[in-house]
Order: sequence, then C-alpha cells, then structure tokens
Amino acid sequence: MTKEELKAALEKAFPGLVPASQAVGDYLTLRLPDAAQLLPVVTCLKETLGFEYLDMVTATDWLGPVNLDGFIREPNFNVFLPEGATAQAEAPKKTAGVEYRDAIELVWCLSNLKGRIKVFLKLDLPRGGGKAPSLVGHYKAADWQERELFDLFGVRFDGHPNLVKILTPDFTVGHPLRKDYVHQKDRFD
Amino acid sequence: MSSTQPLPHGLKSDQLFVNLGPQHPSTHGVLRVGLTIEGEIVVKAVPDVGYLHRGTEKLAELRGYPQCVVISDRWDYLSAMNNNLMFCLAAEKLLKVEVPERAQHLRVVMCELNRIASHLLFFGTYGIDLGAFTAFLHAFREREMVLDLFEMSCGARLTYNYIRLGGVMKDVDAAWLAKCREFIEFFKPRLKEYDDLLSFNPIFLDRTKGVGRISAKQAVAWALSGPNLRGSGVSYDARKFEPYCGYEKYDFEVPVGKDGDCWDRYYCRVLEMHQSVRIIEAALGMMAEGPVMGKGVAKVPKPPPGEAYAHVEGARGDLGCHLVADGNASPYRMHIRAPSFINLAILQEMLVGERMSDVIAILGSIDIVLGEVDR
Amino acid sequence: MSEDAKDPKPEAPKPVPETTTAAAAPAAAAKPAAPAKPAPKPLPTPVYNEADGRLLKERRLWPTDMWRDPWSQPRYRMAWVKLIVLVAVALGAALLLGEVGRFAVPVTSFLLEKGAAYGLPAWAPGLVWALVKIVLVLHVPLLSALVFVWWERKISAHMQSRLGPMYVGGFHGWLQTVADGIKLLLKENITPTAADTWVHRLAPAVVVAPALLAFAPVSFGKDLSAADLDVGLVYVFAMAGVSVVGIMMAGWGSGNKYSLLGGLRSAAQLVSYELPRMFAVIPVIMFAESLNLADIGAAQGGYWFGVLPRWFIFYPVVGQLSFLIFLIASVAETNRIPFDLPEAESELVAGFHTEYSGMKFSLFFLAEYAYMTLACCLAAAFFLGGGTAPLSFLDGFLPSWAWFLGKVLALVFCFLWFRWTFPRFRVDRLMDFNWKFLLPWSFANIALAGLYVMVLS
Repeated sequence: MTKEELKAALEKAFPGLVPASQAVGDYLTLRLPDAAQLLPVVTCLKETLGFEYLDMVTATDWLGPVNLDGFIREPNFNVFLPEGATAQAEAPKKTAGVEYRDAIELVWCLSNLKGRIKVFLKLDLPRGGGKAPSLVGHYKAADWQERELFDLFGVRFDGHPNLVKILTPDFTVGHPLRKDYVHQKDRFD
Repeated sequence: MSSTQPLPHGLKSDQLFVNLGPQHPSTHGVLRVGLTIEGEIVVKAVPDVGYLHRGTEKLAELRGYPQCVVISDRWDYLSAMNNNLMFCLAAEKLLKVEVPERAQHLRVVMCELNRIASHLLFFGTYGIDLGAFTAFLHAFREREMVLDLFEMSCGARLTYNYIRLGGVMKDVDAAWLAKCREFIEFFKPRLKEYDDLLSFNPIFLDRTKGVGRISAKQAVAWALSGPNLRGSGVSYDARKFEPYCGYEKYDFEVPVGKDGDCWDRYYCRVLEMHQSVRIIEAALGMMAEGPVMGKGVAKVPKPPPGEAYAHVEGARGDLGCHLVADGNASPYRMHIRAPSFINLAILQEMLVGERMSDVIAILGSIDIVLGEVDR
Repeated sequence: MSEDAKDPKPEAPKPVPETTTAAAAPAAAAKPAAPAKPAPKPLPTPVYNEADGRLLKERRLWPTDMWRDPWSQPRYRMAWVKLIVLVAVALGAALLLGEVGRFAVPVTSFLLEKGAAYGLPAWAPGLVWALVKIVLVLHVPLLSALVFVWWERKISAHMQSRLGPMYVGGFHGWLQTVADGIKLLLKENITPTAADTWVHRLAPAVVVAPALLAFAPVSFGKDLSAADLDVGLVYVFAMAGVSVVGIMMAGWGSGNKYSLLGGLRSAAQLVSYELPRMFAVIPVIMFAESLNLADIGAAQGGYWFGVLPRWFIFYPVVGQLSFLIFLIASVAETNRIPFDLPEAESELVAGFHTEYSGMKFSLFFLAEYAYMTLACCLAAAFFLGGGTAPLSFLDGFLPSWAWFLGKVLALVFCFLWFRWTFPRFRVDRLMDFNWKFLLPWSFANIALAGLYVMVLS
C-alpha cells in the first residue's frame, strides 16, 4: 500500500478528513474535523486497512512560545558564564507564519506493520476542557500514553478506564507541558 | 481461591499486598509494582512509574538543538548512542542536512556496539534476576571492552553525545578500528560461551520457557517493540521497516521468537548480538575515508517551521522522536516514543495469575530502563 | 631534586672513598651533598596517538591481552609459585603433626594425674577435658566459616574472571573475612519498629546454636570426635532440623512481608528436603550397620582388588545414587543456590534476614557456612570413607584427619561451584523436584540396598 492509495481510500470513506497543513515529515498526515470522527476513522484504519499498531499518541500546545516561569531554574543556568553574558540560547519568540492558536493538537501515529506504512492523525482540541475519545478499546497501548497526556497536558479522554496521573508527583499543580504552565513552589524547591 | 473463602476452624485467609520496589534489587531502577498476592500467586499488579521523571520534554523547549542531544543521552542511558541518533535523525529531517558516508558508517558501528553493550547488560542482569551471578560478570567483561572503545572514540563511557547534528563528533583513527576488530574477534566465541553458561542451562530453561507468554496479537495491541515484540513472532524492526543510516546496505536478519515467552525474548536479544556483530563487521569493511560532519550545520541551528518524526531501532525497541519546530533555536515540542514506557504497560495484564518468582523473570525479560520510562 | 640540593641545611660531608681517582674527584665535588634519596619510580610512559596527541588506552589491559599469554605477567607466575609453596607447607605440616588423636590418651591421663595430685573431686578432670573438647570442636565451624567465606569469594571471583579480595592481609586478601567480621561487629544493631522484638532477637541464636551443637559427634579423623555417640547420625539430623524454627522466627519476627515469604518458603523447603536427605543415608546405615559416625567411616576401610577403596560411593548404583541425593538435598538444606529460595536476593530482597544487621546478620551467615561444613563432613564420612586414603599405596602417608580435610575441601568446592554456576529454582519446581524425583528415587535406592545386603550376606 502506498501513501497515495491510503490517502485516497481514507478520503473516500471519510470526506471530512483533509491533509494537515503541517505534515509530519514525509508521512501521510490527516486532520480530523472533530473529535467524533476519531473512532470511526481509527476503526476503519484498524479493521479494514490493517493498521493494528498504535505507535504513539502525543500532543502539541499551540498557544505560543513557552512561558519561562514553567522552569524551576533560570533558563540556561550556567555557573561558568561571566556576569551579564548573553544566554547561550535565547528565549523562544513567536515566528511569523506559524499557526499559533488556542488549541492543543493531538497526534496519533498508527502503523501497518505488514504494509510498512505509517499514518499520522491530527485533531485540534480547545485548550480549556477539551475532550477526545479514548482509543483504549482499540489499542491497549493507548492506556498509558493517554494517561501521560492527561498528566502533562490536561487532555481528558472519554472512556479511559483509569485516567489518573502517571509521571508527575501528586503535588504537581497544573500540566507541565502546557505552554502557559507556571511552576508552583513545592516542598522540594 | 478467593480471599473470602472460609477456612476450617474459623481461620481466615487474606490477600497480601507487597510493594515490589521502588527500592528492590530486581526492579532495575525505581519502578514500583504494587502486587496483591494470594499465597505465591499474583492477583493484581499495578505498576507505578514516575519516580525518575525529569521533564526532559519540557527542558528541550528551552534548549538549543545541540543541547537536546545531551538530554537524549539521559533517557536510555544504556544505549545512549541510539538515543543520540534518534534525536539527530529527527532534527536533521527538519534542518535538511546531508550526512556524509563515513559518518553514516560510524553511526551504524557505534549504534550496533551500543546495542551489544546494552544486550550484554540485559543478559547479565537477567541472569542475576534468576539467581545466576556468574553470567553477569562475564557479560560485563565484554561490555567493559565496548565502553573502552567508546571512551577511545568520544571520551565518555555512558553518556556519549557522540552522534551530533550532521554527523558525528569526531573521526576515529586506525588504532580504534583495529581495536574494534579485535573486540569483534574476541566477542564471537564468547556468544557461544553465553549459550553454554546460561541460555541452555536446564534450570534457566525451566524458569523461562513457557513463563510470561505474550501472544502476537497481545504484543501488537500493547504496541510492544524491539525484542519483546519479535519474541512473540512479529517481525517488526525499524531498521527494516524504514531503513536509516544506510541500514538497507547491510545484510542481516531479524531474529524472531515463536512462543513469546521469557526465553524467546531473552534469546532474541542474544541472537541480535550475533546480527550486530555481522553488521559491525560489514560496516568496518565498508568504511570509506571522508569527512564525518555534514556541511551547513550552524552553531545555533534554527530549522524552519515544520514537523518531523524519526524512529530508530533502539536496544529496547522502537525509539521515536516527534519534533515540532517553529523557527526558534529550540524545539517547539519534542515527544519521545519511549519503548520502555510502552513495553512496561503490558505488565498490569501479564503479571496476573503468575507466581511471585515469575514476576521477577517477566519483569527482567521486558528489559526496561527507568530513565526512559520516566523521561 | 634541585630544590633539595640548594637546601641550606648543613649536611654531613660524604666520606669520599680513598680509592677515588683524580678524574672522579671533581665530579664528586661538583655535587657535594646530594641527599641519598632513592630515585622516584618512573611513571609508565603514556601512549599517545601520533595523529592528534590523544591518550590511547593501549595500556589498559583487555581480556585479550590477559589471555594471550598469562605467563608473561609476573604476578601470574608469582601466584603459581605461592600456591605451590602453600600446598607444600600444608602437606609438610600434616606430615609433621601426624595423627592428632594420639594426644588424647596422654592428655586425659595428665588431667587425671593432676586432679588426683591437687585433690580435686573425681568429676573435675572429666569436666576440664569436656570443656577442652568443646572449645576445640567449636573452632571447626567458626574457623571453617572464616576460611570458606574467603575461599568462596576467591572461587567466585575466579569463575567470574576477576580477582576477588586482594588487599587485606597481603596474600590474596586472606584476612578479608576477619575485616568483614570486625565491620559487622561495629555495625548498628537495628530492630525494626514493626518487629516482634523478642522473636526477632532470639531467631539468630536459635538458628546458630543447633548448627554448632551438631558438630559434636562428627568424627574428623581417627579418634577425633568430641562426643562418640552411638546414635551420632540421628543426633546430627535432629539438631540440623531445629534451625528451621529459627528461620521461621526470623521471617515472622522481622515484621517484613518479604521476610515472611522467605521464612515460609524456607520452612517448606527445609522440611521437605530433610526426607530424601535422611533416606539417602539409610543405605549407608544398612551397609555399615551402625549409627556411629566414626564406625561408619571405619566400615569403609580396605580396598577392593587392592586398589579401589571400599567407600560407599563406589558401591555400584546404590552408592552413587545416594551420594547424589544426599548432596543435592544438602545443598537445599543449606539454602544455597540453586535452592536459595528463602533468601532469594532478586525476589525477596534477602528473605528471612532482610531486616537483620550487624552481628545478628552474621550469625545467620555463620549458620549457613556451618551447615555447609557439616554437610560436607557428613558426606565425606558417609560416602567418601572418612579418614581413609583414596589409594592403597597412599595408606598411612598422611594422617587420617588430613585425608578427611581434603575430602571436605573438595566437597565444599563442589558446593561453591554449584552456587556460582546455576540459576535459582522456582518454588513449585523445587517441591516437584523433591517429592516427585528425589524422594521416590531414594526409596528405590533403599530397596536396592536391601537387595545388596541380602546378596552379600
């Protein structure tokens, strides 16, 4: 199965699917119009197109450059730099032409192991209270990865059997990978 | 037997909750598994991770791309070369840098050497998990030689930072190549020794054959990768799936298990060492003179906005890196597909119904590195 | 060196030898008071890469270098010389000392004589003699533990291509165990809060006391046993069985779940392996027609066809089978790999002695090694002829205790060898192995032995 065939097959079955404006490398990247489309698309991919392997689930917060208060230490902390020296890497700034928006973009990567092809699915969720359907029913691998996204981004997954924190400690306030995360002082600082 | 089953004479039986970890000799780091056991049988297993979470994905959002290579060493510190390579491949896709041929060969040699070192450590620690102490030091003897080779090439023994954006840090000299060949010659007969010492030891077979079976379907559903997936009979190897660094030029096989039990996973790793030796020999033969650093990599690279995904076959499985750039000197978002993290999730399903001593055998055969699980 | 030469401190002028020639005299005068320091040892020349001046690791020895020609290493040659000297000294000492048992009669008569001379009551010399014997026999488990711990560390090290202890005491770290013992003595004695205090404290004593007591009837050579018991064999096994109680106490009293699991595993294992161990000895009793350990050893004197010793291990099939069963069950009884489930380090942290520290821990350790020594002494006495020589022409060359010691050492080596070669059994397999393999075969063995006895009589 080639990229074009797959694209044609998917777009025929789901007219709402469009190629994402920002593709992941050379891989086929499709954007879901809304969260409700996810499960039918994934079901079709898994059951008819042989994408049985969920490579990864990830997310990107498109709010804009990261808030420096989210880091515990000052950026580029380097004891060897002389007083007043410029930092080694400047703080990130907004770049013209990049679609910053008030959304968290979920990315699923599915593989067809026999056909040697990967497909990326993208879905925008609103940053406040966005919900996506959980894929645990389709791929058990989604279990911990969705918990990780819940922990680090605050994305809620409907239908996840055990959506609790996984990586950060209990006392962490907020979701560290959000761009506007501000670190709260805790007993270990 | 349920916990509520009444016993004669009014005695009552109860389940026992045991914390396996975070400080336990066999959890290979700070993993905690909450085990509920009924006698010696596990009724419920809840893996608890995050003790080593350092937030490296967040850290990367403020570090330059070359600095991120340094971070990448700290995930799977037992095969750091593969981590370096995985990040560099993703970043090179964004930067559109050509890597010279000699650097490609060097990357392959280093990654395969590191795979050998990592599998040797697995071999040794798995022996220890099952009570065979001698295998550990035999494996470490050879691993020490690999680390010596790394020390000769880049000065570091654990966190190498050797594979850089656009190539490798430094060329190796003829003395290094000679040493590497010497190691390979020394190592080949040792593989036979390992089989005699551990692989076909009757007690070892007894402990691992038929224990902790993962069916192919289950393995794919849980998205296992690396030897854990191949042990179950699914031939998925990133080196064959999407060859990188010129892996398509090398002639090697992907060892695949049959039953998906602990022994198959173990032996897949041993066979992978055989294949790594093959690849290294071929790569050393193909090594051409030339530069080891691609042209046009700035000191502070600022890739144009875009996204890239690169994945390599790490020692523990399919290591992937999803990079999002927005034109700044640091990645806008970096996500690591950590094979240990994903492989570990199956534990909650697998451990139920197993014996307490098999828990260790299964945990060891999954071969996790907590630095990568928690990132 | 030049700073030293300029040192203003007045120094005694060097006596110039009378025979100095005129040519050499000015040279000596030019460097008048060079202090007589030995030249510093030159540092080894580092090897650099010619291309970029990087330090090469050529000087680090790879296993390849070591294995290519070990005889080129002076230390390797020296070690062989030392080993040969050590063995020669040990043999010489054994030859000089001769049979130790012969001192018993003069010492007892001396004690009786002195007792009579000082008008002591009649039981006093007997008491002193008993105390002397107790002190002597206590040295066997205690010293053997000291030596075998060191030996085990050396054996394991050499099996794992490393050196093991090398510093303490000079020769191959032979004082390492003493140093470790001192360390353990100085460690804090921790009792966990959750522990059942008295049970926790008492457990090491309950484990170690029977281990030491069990040595009483063991015959270490001709006329060398502390108590010449007629039921010595039964006594030894009875004593060895008591330690299970201590291990269970340790498992229960520590207030640790892992310890509890270890203790329970241990109880199950030790109780079940007692059976084949006992049954493996029954053919020996049938052949020797005695329960006295010295008599069992003596019953194996003499040679078949003038060459092959009449040891029970050489009785066809029965001897080898019962020796194997006894050896396997003994390894299990001493909680050593491949049967170290009670203290399985990688599963149960350290099993029943997880919560023990300092001397309490070392008592468990001592008991383990004492039981290992005991098992080897018993196997040597039951199957390897006790103090008899292995070949007829060697009879009388060395005293009987030296032959006995040699056999015990060989058996201990086997124990160490097993430990550092095998992985660990699984609990259910362990039980299967015992109940479905060892026990039936030991029964069959007894039947076979009965047949032999019938035929021979």
